[in-house]
Amino acid sequence: MDGAFENKSTDNDGSDEIFISICDVNRKRYNSYIKLYNFNNNNIKMASTPESDDYHPIVILIDELKNDDIQLRLNSIRKLQSIAKALGPERTRSELIPYLQDSVLEDEDEVLVALAEELGKLTDFVGGNEHATCLLPPLQMLAGAEEVVVREKAVDALNKICSELSQSAFEDCFLPLLLNLSKADWFTSRTSACGLLTVAYPRASSEMKKNLRKTFSTLCHDDTPMVRRAAATHLGNFSKQIEKDAVKSEMLPLFTFLASDEQDSVRLLGVENCAIIGSMLSNEENIQHILPILKSSAQDKSWRVRYMVARLFKELCDSMGQEITKSELVGSFVKLLKDTEAEVRTEAAQRVTEVCALISKDMSVKNILPCVKDLVSDVSQHVRAALAQVIMGLCPIFGKDDTLQYLLELFLQLLKDDFPDVRLNIISKLDAVNKVIGIEMLSQSLLPAIVELAEDQQWRVRLAIIDYIPLLASQLGVEFFDEKLGNLCMTWLGDPVFSIREAATNNLKKLTEVFGVEWAKSNIIPKVLTLHSHPNYLYRMTTLFSIGVLSPVVGSDVIASSMIPLLTKMVTDKVPNIRFNVAKTFQIIIPLLDSTIVQSRVKPSLLKLLEDPDKDVKFYANQALQLC
Amino acid sequence: MGEFQDVDRYISILKECKPLSESEVKHLCEKARDILLEESNVQPVKCPVTVCGDIHGQFHDLMELFKIGGNCPDTNYLFMGDYVDRGFYSVETVTLLVALKVRYKDRVTILRGNHESRQITQVYGFYDECLRKYGNPNVWRFFTDLFDYLPLTALIEKQVFCLHGGLSPSIDTLDHIRNLDRLQEVPHEGAMCDLLWSDPDDRSGFGYSPRGAGYTFGKDISEQFNHNNGLTLVARAHQLVMEGYNWCHDQNVVTIFSAPNYCYRCGNQAAIMEIDEKMKHTFLQFDPAPRRGEPHVTRRTPDYFL
Repeated sequence: MDGAFENKSTDNDGSDEIFISICDVNRKRYNSYIKLYNFNNNNIKMASTPESDDYHPIVILIDELKNDDIQLRLNSIRKLQSIAKALGPERTRSELIPYLQDSVLEDEDEVLVALAEELGKLTDFVGGNEHATCLLPPLQMLAGAEEVVVREKAVDALNKICSELSQSAFEDCFLPLLLNLSKADWFTSRTSACGLLTVAYPRASSEMKKNLRKTFSTLCHDDTPMVRRAAATHLGNFSKQIEKDAVKSEMLPLFTFLASDEQDSVRLLGVENCAIIGSMLSNEENIQHILPILKSSAQDKSWRVRYMVARLFKELCDSMGQEITKSELVGSFVKLLKDTEAEVRTEAAQRVTEVCALISKDMSVKNILPCVKDLVSDVSQHVRAALAQVIMGLCPIFGKDDTLQYLLELFLQLLKDDFPDVRLNIISKLDAVNKVIGIEMLSQSLLPAIVELAEDQQWRVRLAIIDYIPLLASQLGVEFFDEKLGNLCMTWLGDPVFSIREAATNNLKKLTEVFGVEWAKSNIIPKVLTLHSHPNYLYRMTTLFSIGVLSPVVGSDVIASSMIPLLTKMVTDKVPNIRFNVAKTFQIIIPLLDSTIVQSRVKPSLLKLLEDPDKDVKFYANQALQLC
Repeated sequence: MGEFQDVDRYISILKECKPLSESEVKHLCEKARDILLEESNVQPVKCPVTVCGDIHGQFHDLMELFKIGGNCPDTNYLFMGDYVDRGFYSVETVTLLVALKVRYKDRVTILRGNHESRQITQVYGFYDECLRKYGNPNVWRFFTDLFDYLPLTALIEKQVFCLHGGLSPSIDTLDHIRNLDRLQEVPHEGAMCDLLWSDPDDRSGFGYSPRGAGYTFGKDISEQFNHNNGLTLVARAHQLVMEGYNWCHDQNVVTIFSAPNYCYRCGNQAAIMEIDEKMKHTFLQFDPAPRRGEPHVTRRTPDYFL
């Protein structure tokens, strides 16, 4: 309960005045705020001394529980712990809780959600565990609310209180409440009952356990689909609490029953239960009971059920074990990969690598690969993008030879896809292929496609290529790189998109680390420096950024011989943004230089910039001068 | 250096899409008001500058905009209003833009849009977002009070006239605008309202706007206004355009819209206009920032939309 008082006290930072502003649009009193209360914290005698909330005007909060403005009511409900603390446990039980039960329950859903949450935290304020039962009646009403979020919060609160109650209070109050809810006329209460069973079951006596299982069975057979849906949602977790014999004799039939429900929204919840219950049973039992349901779900007439199977396929395979997966589930998976609905194919495509990892390579090549080939040219771009996300993961499973034989052409085809997400998904995982087939094979087969993508319309595709360049460079060697990729790296420096220019400058640094300073001096630096005369300031800035990024790797000689002269020249640029970036660049290179050079060749420029009419130039020049 | 310590801290918080505390917003708005008070109804702006249209609380797309156009203060920016409403992050968006204005007042210009108003923000989301994020309307009040001080228009190098909406039948010259008293809620009619609400149209002359505020104005009006005031172009925002920018009135008017996939569903591109130091303009278009972790909505258009 330590955290209970850490309410967000946004509206008073130490002052003891509380302002409440009310904006009245209709009368256009826009600027008016009304000082409602000059609160003096000695006015009200507290039953106890709250630690952090002692400024809160309890009277106002209580008053505002009844206010017409929903926001104020909501505020008060959120401070329910403070109110209860101020009133003391006895008055909270005898006055506050009955009041809330009588008047607030008619309120807006938003208030009810807050109320359900706060009631769950109130045990300590009504006098501890032995008095917590007084919180049950209002929560029981909230558990029957129309709005599903209210009910969920009420169920959460009830479950929390359930674990706090003494055994006798649990038996005398909580279980009757649960049974009442399960037999209520209106379906909303019955759905809530489904959510209480899992927590209540372990605490019940063996006689009562039987009763609770019977209750659950009744809920599973409820006429209202909403209740059956709630039962199906909780079936898996409820089964985990139940003795193994009872799972087989009682839960399995219920599971089978719900799996053939007329509503697809109920059936699809059963898919997850397949995985949960399946992992509790033996292989033979799975083959006998779960597998038939799983296989029929994979061919359900509703695509939403099939979608669920595709989505959870890995979990389902895990719970059924490798043998059943190989002998029975691969067939279902192939069907899902060929489903008529793109949504189902998208989910299935995303599972391809996971499933292939579970079965043998031969089976993957024989059964799954033909489907993958079809998916590469699927009509839906989302299916292709999903496949592109995982297909590179097949390389280690297939090994070098089969990757070259079967997969490489598929990668090439996906690299040329019309939809940018597909291309991007392939490029960002190229290193997986690299590890398996080696850079030489990769560059021979994929390099032309990569060069083409370096000028892709989508800047994020270009970015992904740039990120990949240093690795390529280190593998290809200087000559090959200069010939094939050198120019490209310079083109990116003039890209219209800032992030590409930025990535291109960082790329230059990494290339210098790979090929050495001498290479940079002759290949990079001259070209970078020519950008300083670009007519557009944003591109001149690229020169400055490049100097900043390269200076730590090129050494002080290069800085002194080619970079400082350029910076000195740019001190007189007519655009202030360039001038203050000269100052910022000096900040980077000063620590890299000998102090005599700083004093003789850097400081004069900075002193000149300090006299600049522009405020920002002055600011950054001053910052740089601190380093001299 | 201590001068900007607070604001620098605000900016780094905001860039992570986290809102400031109520007292920090109050402090920031007070500083911003002093700066904006000094600015003109027709705020002069120097080139080079990058001109942007509606943002509408699409915070992650504003970050995308900076990825495309460059960071502030390295790139100069001029925003033409409508920072709040409709998107999920109006609070973070407008707080960040105001913080950038306070930190780099010569590098950033922010104009008033028709959504920078008490009335509109109560209908289209900013008010509710403030309540949700702060539990009370104080932050909404700080910002809407500040909005009264935002300049209505800007003028780049005496050539390109920038504003949110468009022209008004009660305004012939820039001096008319300079003489308006802008320190008020956006009125329902009149010159100030028109500047924030009007739209260009194919029909000539002024016409009634279907929006119920402002006017539509024809090519003749734009040509004459540009001619009378020695202008080359009117740049404005206010309307969704699928390519992010759209020329009209024989290149007398350009519309720029910088909220890609507006309202997370329109499928439009966004654009910004870079004006370099020779007053040459370039448009950069961009798509929504990739949203990781947000719920994956099925992207197939339902049949009933076709």
